[in-house]
Amino acid sequence: MPGWNLTGTAPRAQGASEGDEALSVSQAVEMAASALDALPLLTVIGEVTGFRGPNARSGHCYFQIKDDACAVDCIIWRGSYAKRSFELRDGMQVQFTGNFNLYKATGRMSFVAKSFTLAGEGLLRQQVAALAEKLRLEGLCDDARKLRIPVFCTRVAVVTSLSGAVIDDVKRTLRRRNPLVELICVGAKVQGDGAPAELIEGLARAAAIDPAPDCILLVRGGGSFEDLMTFNDEALARAVASCPVPVVTGIGHEPDTSICDMVSDRRCSTPTAAAESVAPAMSDLVDVLDARERRMVTALTGTVRAASSDVAALRERADRAFGGYMSRLAMALDAAAARPCLRDPAWMVDRRLADLEQSADRLGGAAARGGVERGGA
Amino acid sequence: MATSKKNVDELTYKEASTELELIIRNLESGDMELEESLESYTRGVELLRSLRARLEDAEQKVSVLLKDVDGTDKLVAGEAADTSDRLSF
Repeated sequence: MPGWNLTGTAPRAQGASEGDEALSVSQAVEMAASALDALPLLTVIGEVTGFRGPNARSGHCYFQIKDDACAVDCIIWRGSYAKRSFELRDGMQVQFTGNFNLYKATGRMSFVAKSFTLAGEGLLRQQVAALAEKLRLEGLCDDARKLRIPVFCTRVAVVTSLSGAVIDDVKRTLRRRNPLVELICVGAKVQGDGAPAELIEGLARAAAIDPAPDCILLVRGGGSFEDLMTFNDEALARAVASCPVPVVTGIGHEPDTSICDMVSDRRCSTPTAAAESVAPAMSDLVDVLDARERRMVTALTGTVRAASSDVAALRERADRAFGGYMSRLAMALDAAAARPCLRDPAWMVDRRLADLEQSADRLGGAAARGGVERGGA
Repeated sequence: MATSKKNVDELTYKEASTELELIIRNLESGDMELEESLESYTRGVELLRSLRARLEDAEQKVSVLLKDVDGTDKLVAGEAADTSDRLSF
């Protein structure tokens, strides 16, 4: 056996005596391929990376899945990808089921996934979306069944953790905005095991306070998706929806939306926003009172003005009526005064005098004629 | 409306505010006797004064719902919000 090889070709597999005969690449690759084929169907959880959608020409998907330490090429054939229930995206935690495969022409190993489902947070999100859809179909998110929240809630129960910063934020916000709002704090765990049950109990206790609060603030500060999962609990969501006192939610930060937010009577983006939404600011109340004072003064001025113009009209009518009566009397008086008996009292005497004179004349005449006749007889 | 007129200061803010609004609407309707209008107006002014005073002296009231030893809930006075705006470390 030569100690060196001048031709540069691989030594032929013939020196069986030493048991270290070399394999051709094909043989080696074939061996590796069979070893991989011998593996059972595997389910692998990993993060999707380098996903660019199905290949434009073939429709197959080529990308990688990885964890903290390793990565492997992953292939999903067109037929398998067509059966997907969601779109893959970089960063998703996905559970792939399939086999390893060695592409012999390049010796590259890939994991060929026959099916895949969401895992981890992705799976949770999918479940939350399914629950949201279910409750939506039941009508729990309908505006029509939501309770009206008074513009000015003067008695407000807050259901949240009494140890966190959130309860202080709510107190501080309302002290600044409107200290007339009376707050009743009802403590409950807001994350971890048993949190939904404590919150459900907290809501029931808050609703049972006598006299009942105008609304209940169900609030929690920001946190990871999993921290906020408590507020995606179905039983808690149903308790929020069926609570006899209106519920205002402020859970997490701006983009976070939980199932409780969907079924609550008012959804605010943060605990502070929720607190602000239950009562008007003091300055607005002052404005309202000013406006009311103006309205009241205007209304009374109007009433008094109307009454006084009524009085003026009545007086005018009375004046007119009385004036008419008086002038009728005056006319009657004038008419009476115009009668001759009053105008010239001497007239009566004069008239009788004239009568008398007439009578006297006639008497005189008669006597004269009588004397003539007697004297003549 | 003129039935059972409580002392203005015994009304809650909301009650006083509601009564004031009602008085104003009645005054605005102009259907009232003048005497009644004047009476309502006087009451309205009283309500307004009381409401204004409350806005000025409002102090936050906070209570905590606690379970008593026998398991029933009771309200216990709690701490109002800190009035200082300094940060505590």
